[in-house]
Amino acid sequence: MIEYVWLIPLFPAIGFLINGLISRWYNLPKAFIAWVACSALALSFIGSAAVFFELLKLPPELRVKIPDVILFDWVVSGDLRTVIGYKVDPLSMVMALVVTGVSFLIHVYSVGYMHEDPGFARYFSYLNLFVFMMLNLVLANNFLLMFLGWEGVGLCSYLLIGFWFENEAPPRAGLKAFIVNRVGDFGFLIGLFLIFSKLGTLIFDEVFAKASTLDPWTVTLITLMLFVGATGKSAQLPLYVWLPDAMEGPTPVSSLIHAATMVTAGVYMVARCHVLYEMAPLSMMVVATVGALTAIFAASMALVQVDFKRILAYSTISQLGYMFLAVGVGAYSAGIFHLMTHAFFKALLFLAAGSVMHALAGELDIRRMGQLKEKMPITFWTFLLAALAIAGIPGFSGFFSKDEILWNAFSSPKGHAILWLIGLITAGMTAFYMFRLCFMAFFGRFRGDHEVFHHAHESPPIMTIPMIVLAVLSVIGGYVGIPHVLGGHNYFHKFLSPVFKLHENLPHGEGSEKLELLLMVVSVAVALFGIFLAFNLYLRNPELPKKLSEKWAKAYKILWNKYYVDEIYGFIFVEGTKGFGRILWHNFDEAVIDRTVNWIGSLMKIMGAGLRLFQTGFVRDYILGILVGALILMLLIL
Amino acid sequence: MEGVFGIGWLTALIFLPLCGAIVLLFFPRRCEGLIKWFTLGVTLLDFVLSLVVFSRFDDLKAGMQFVERFPWIKAWGAEYYLGIDGISLLLVVLTTYLMVLSVLSSWSSVEKALKEYMIAFLLLETGMIGTFCALDLLLFYLFWEFTLIPMYLIIGIWGGPRRVYAAIKFFLYTMAGSVLMLVAILTLYFLHAKSSGQYTFDLFALYNTPMSIKTALLLFAAFSLAFAIKVPMFPFHTWLPDAHVEAPTAGSVILAGVLLKMGTYGFLRFAIPLFPQAAKEAQITVLVLALIGIIYGALVSMMQDDLKKLVAFSSVSHLGFVMLGMFAFTHQGVQGSVYQMLNHGVSTGGLFILVGMIYERRHTRLIKEFGGLAKIMPIYATFFMIVALSSIGLPGTNGFVGEFTILLGTFKSKPIFGILGATGVIFAAGYMLWMMKRVFFGALSHEENLTLKDLNKREIVTLIPIVIMIFWMGIYPKFFFQKMDLSVSAFLKDLQTRQSLFVENTQIEKLGGR
Amino acid sequence: MWGMEFKKELIGILPEIVLFCFALVSLLLGAFLKGASRRITGYIGLLGYVVAFFTIFPSGTETLKAFYGMVSFDPFSLFFKVLFLVIGFLVVLLSLDYAKKEEVGFGEYYALILIATCGMILMAASSNFVTLFLGLEIMSLSIYALTGITREDPRSVEAAFKYFLLGAFASAFFLYGVALLYVSTGTLDLMAFGQLLKSKAQVLKDPTFLVGLGLLLVGFGFKLALVPFHMWTPDVYEGAPTPITAFMATGVKAAAFAGFLRVLLFALPSLPFKWQEVLWVLSVATMSLGNLVALRQDDIKRMLAYSSIAHAGYILIGIIAGPERGYSGALFYLYAYAFMNIGAFAVVAILSKKGHPNTVLEAYSGIASRHPLLALSMTIFLFSLAGVPPTAGFMAKFYVFSAAVKEGYTWLAVLGVLNSAVAAYYYLRVMVYMYFREPKWEIQTGSASLAGVLVIILSLWGVLQFGILPSSLLALAQTSLRLL
Repeated sequence: MIEYVWLIPLFPAIGFLINGLISRWYNLPKAFIAWVACSALALSFIGSAAVFFELLKLPPELRVKIPDVILFDWVVSGDLRTVIGYKVDPLSMVMALVVTGVSFLIHVYSVGYMHEDPGFARYFSYLNLFVFMMLNLVLANNFLLMFLGWEGVGLCSYLLIGFWFENEAPPRAGLKAFIVNRVGDFGFLIGLFLIFSKLGTLIFDEVFAKASTLDPWTVTLITLMLFVGATGKSAQLPLYVWLPDAMEGPTPVSSLIHAATMVTAGVYMVARCHVLYEMAPLSMMVVATVGALTAIFAASMALVQVDFKRILAYSTISQLGYMFLAVGVGAYSAGIFHLMTHAFFKALLFLAAGSVMHALAGELDIRRMGQLKEKMPITFWTFLLAALAIAGIPGFSGFFSKDEILWNAFSSPKGHAILWLIGLITAGMTAFYMFRLCFMAFFGRFRGDHEVFHHAHESPPIMTIPMIVLAVLSVIGGYVGIPHVLGGHNYFHKFLSPVFKLHENLPHGEGSEKLELLLMVVSVAVALFGIFLAFNLYLRNPELPKKLSEKWAKAYKILWNKYYVDEIYGFIFVEGTKGFGRILWHNFDEAVIDRTVNWIGSLMKIMGAGLRLFQTGFVRDYILGILVGALILMLLIL
Repeated sequence: MEGVFGIGWLTALIFLPLCGAIVLLFFPRRCEGLIKWFTLGVTLLDFVLSLVVFSRFDDLKAGMQFVERFPWIKAWGAEYYLGIDGISLLLVVLTTYLMVLSVLSSWSSVEKALKEYMIAFLLLETGMIGTFCALDLLLFYLFWEFTLIPMYLIIGIWGGPRRVYAAIKFFLYTMAGSVLMLVAILTLYFLHAKSSGQYTFDLFALYNTPMSIKTALLLFAAFSLAFAIKVPMFPFHTWLPDAHVEAPTAGSVILAGVLLKMGTYGFLRFAIPLFPQAAKEAQITVLVLALIGIIYGALVSMMQDDLKKLVAFSSVSHLGFVMLGMFAFTHQGVQGSVYQMLNHGVSTGGLFILVGMIYERRHTRLIKEFGGLAKIMPIYATFFMIVALSSIGLPGTNGFVGEFTILLGTFKSKPIFGILGATGVIFAAGYMLWMMKRVFFGALSHEENLTLKDLNKREIVTLIPIVIMIFWMGIYPKFFFQKMDLSVSAFLKDLQTRQSLFVENTQIEKLGGR
Repeated sequence: MWGMEFKKELIGILPEIVLFCFALVSLLLGAFLKGASRRITGYIGLLGYVVAFFTIFPSGTETLKAFYGMVSFDPFSLFFKVLFLVIGFLVVLLSLDYAKKEEVGFGEYYALILIATCGMILMAASSNFVTLFLGLEIMSLSIYALTGITREDPRSVEAAFKYFLLGAFASAFFLYGVALLYVSTGTLDLMAFGQLLKSKAQVLKDPTFLVGLGLLLVGFGFKLALVPFHMWTPDVYEGAPTPITAFMATGVKAAAFAGFLRVLLFALPSLPFKWQEVLWVLSVATMSLGNLVALRQDDIKRMLAYSSIAHAGYILIGIIAGPERGYSGALFYLYAYAFMNIGAFAVVAILSKKGHPNTVLEAYSGIASRHPLLALSMTIFLFSLAGVPPTAGFMAKFYVFSAAVKEGYTWLAVLGVLNSAVAAYYYLRVMVYMYFREPKWEIQTGSASLAGVLVIILSLWGVLQFGILPSSLLALAQTSLRLL
């Protein structure tokens, strides 16, 4: 079965071709389109599952020694040899399962969500293309193919953000996303160049095998460059700016691409390259720090936003920060674990958001919501479970993953108390803004137009069922990784450990367990406090927030305007580049270079005009000319 | 002498279009349909011929193949000497391929003098293929200069409002460059004669002409000027935007697709191998200019308000990549640069065809005149998006393979240039996708656009080959790489050996001098 | 024995005799015949050239100094004989077309052309300063008359008058120069002159000699229209009937160059170094001025006049480069130039119409759509004049420039090529009018007669033949020099 791993990406590709080339132009019925798209995903999910169980059959140490599945040579030039080839190991399979699984659910959900949209076929072809690219990213056995997936998912996100291109905002957001990502990809490319020029190969296994020959500085440079790519793709500081705008896309897209799968690519990449990162402590520190800072920074912005999806977007950024914090301190499996649980509950949160929009005719401002739990119970309950999960309430998936991260941040030799503290505060903020959102949207009285409220309704089963499934997952999803201190066996960790070999070090000494438990309690307490705060502010006395915002007007204003980062970037980079280009164009290209060229031409003509004046037409002048010429000749000769 | 009916393959390839043109001369002006179909037939036949050559080309043999060699001007030792290696092979095929497309693309766009138009194009094809096949410097120069004539007429007769200015600028600028090359050719010719005693324009004989580094640099400069203007390299590029904007669609396609490659090809086949030591000396200068070209071209094209001008400046940027890779003197660099020549031919050619299509409908190319076209012309928008993506080098398309190998090769020999060059990738996304956004997305603001028709069958047929090439070259580049692999490594090997050899020579000279 | 010798000499001079006889015939016929039937004289002229052509070869290629060493029949003169006959033939043919619309006098017109040709041949064959001068004068006088042959056209008359005055002036220089040379060396025979210079090097220092040389050069400079002795050219070329202009631009120039080369080859094989510098200056000045001023011309005949000046400059480059490669380059150039220039003038002549000279560029607007083939041929001639391959013009330039490079005059070659790049502009400009402008239907244009078409076809053949496969002509040019 394993050698057929290439089937996994193949199915979505076929789906894309069918819907993109046929359905779209011969506008086939929506049912057909939906079936093609969803069954493509179903098949590729089954495929991944099959490979996964094949993998489980093998003894752990063999699971990482499976030879790559090579399809054909790709770019071959001189000593450069890259292939279209796939790698099967626990890490890639976990990713494949998450991607295909979540994607399948979201595809199903989309069938309901996009039902009225004229671009139905276009939508699903893009969506399939995305999954194809994403699978290439996670299954690739070499950096270049990974980069293909890397930029491919970027393209799809560009296309899907700008899906409703008739409006002004979506295309702009798409453009922004693509270009910011390109900035990251630039770094990624440099990383690739470095790797190749030092090691002469881009195949993962060979690179990691030879990695030991690299000198520390090179490795640091390589890993940092790769991480630049990650900050772009996974919306970390300083390149996170595109993600909030990306919410212009259809909500299922935000759920799939901008929450569950694509944005986690960076985390996966770092985990995949852990061999290199382990050799570069400095880079590790950078990764962890950037992660932690992003986590708290984004969380802080989420505190005051009022746009349902944007709050979730900032929360995604913050959670991604968490994952980088994890891999940054060397807790790779913890990072991947959180990646998975996050995929479940964050996807669900977005789907819930979509369902709310669906009900309220596209309303997104939570100040004009409320009381929805009566109108749409399923959405409410699923949303609540997801919120509890992300808040890290014990018993829910988020608790286990987040806690493992915090513990590693504190205990791992690469970790630090400060990192842990930041993580902790973030956890509190997360709990706060999630429940702020929850309370404002679903509780209290409805604050919007009552006509709208009257028509509000629960979404159809095709949308709710995927939500329910995800809700279940966001609860039990964590049980594969129950830490030892709670008497669990952390199967997830065990499953991945062969990949990360020695590179993980959960301390199991006396005392450490007590400490771990203590920290666990603290974090839970913080989370509960956050929830309690939200409850106080937004249910008990809803006028309090107003007072507070007036009390701390300045801070509030800064948060409200997201630290003005967009404005600053816009001024420096966008306008700067345009201005520079304009100057080059008018004041240099036209005014200097081209003018010189034409000037030479006209100079000739002027000289011609000048010499022409001698041609008077009078014989006497001609004779004079001859005489003068004769004289000059004489002088020259004599 | 194997070939078609005893005529050598390359001769047939070169002169088939010429014969076509002569036959066309006797067609009655009235029956335009016949003229079109006949021209299409000729170009197709030539394309098929080139494919036969392609398939018969033995990519396990370095050096020239399909060689034809006859005395031409005995008195001067000039010969009718043709031959192709992997590099010229690909360029020849590109030429014939683009000729077919440009004939298709000018099916309905030519208002006047269709017959002369087609004749001009066929003559142009002869000139271009000849340039890529000639291995005798005089013969090469003959073809090289000859291509100016039809292009001049194409721009001047069938061009836009400022066509006269553009055409004359094109002709004089390029000619001014090449005449100096002529003097350089002659100097080289006599230098060689002095040392070896035999008069010949045979390229490979001239390859090892002993000369002082000073002479070498001068001659290299003369050659380079001619080629740099053609490429065009910054700062010799200003003729290009004018020529492109004024030229008819097919003219721009051929201009960008093939004529510019004559410049880069010239560097590869003549300037560098003839004066390896000088090339080495000049490496940094050229790299810097190429780099400026990449970024400068991108930034300036970002600010264009005319679609065609935007594409024209993007060519400056792309050709900058080609030069960058070539002068990296690494296997990936050179191979990538040749590959990028093909890519640029395909994608930029495609872009020009696409721009031409919208121009036929709206008779304007100003970006601000459009917006929201994706709504009303979805097929067109889709094609445009695909070609644009290949032009900004998205993985999976041809553009990526070229740019990646070029930058990788450059990085290997001159890291800093590789890094700076890579920034061009960001800018490319900037100008291309920003243009896409302004033209295709947003609301349909202009009511003139509401009635636009989407592409018709003929136009789709014109574009499909381009899309096929984009993905084929992007997903299975090996097919093309292996054709030129040996030629490229031979090129580099020869370069290194002779550069080192030269060093010894100079030392010997020094000793002799004492 | 004596008879034998004389017979040979007569055979040698047969072409001149033939031409002269036919000149007389057409002259007489022109006098006696009336009306249209006088056109016959033109055909007589043509016949004359054909016959003369076949009388060239009996004399064979071996060198023969005839008439007490006054003339020498050798491959060199043979080469030029052929050239002059071809030129004359084409000019007469063109005149047949031209005579339809313009009232060019009949018998005398063709007679004069034939006689002028005699003069040219004599110049090319002369081996003595006297015969050289005789040839020059025979040619010049006929040309003066031809220039003013359209009596009622004031421009033509003015041109003739100017040309005559200045020509006489220049001839004086020439003659005086010869006289001084005689003084300093005591011989007029070119060969002996050359021997003498070889034996007595101090002569080269002798001011009389040098002054004489200078004056001689002025005389040649005038006929070759080298700057600054060129000023008559535009006015005369513009005023003269177009076929005659063609005749002057090609025939007269070629003859002058033939004489010049004779002198250089025989009399001055060992030139004082300074002499080269002088020619260098002359050539650069000539081509540069010619091209630059031509940029500003709006009358095509004036434009071609200046271009012919520039071309003289290019040919001079060949002469500077010296006998080994340069002279043959110059010879080749003269042939190529004859074809492309006559071709261009032929188009001009054909497009003109009684009362509508159509020599302003405006008149060429959109000609391409009115006379496509004519425009096409003009284009080819112009590209050849601009020196763009694959035309004779390119090969010719290539040849002379290569000679310059070979002899180490690289910078001269560079100036030459840059000049040709500049020159391209005004040739392109004509095409701009022909192709890129909308046709002006109100302008009446003539159309080609059979004769005119024939001229065009022959010129096209020459331009392309020598542009693509120049070997044959190259061989001729080289042999014609080698046997000296």
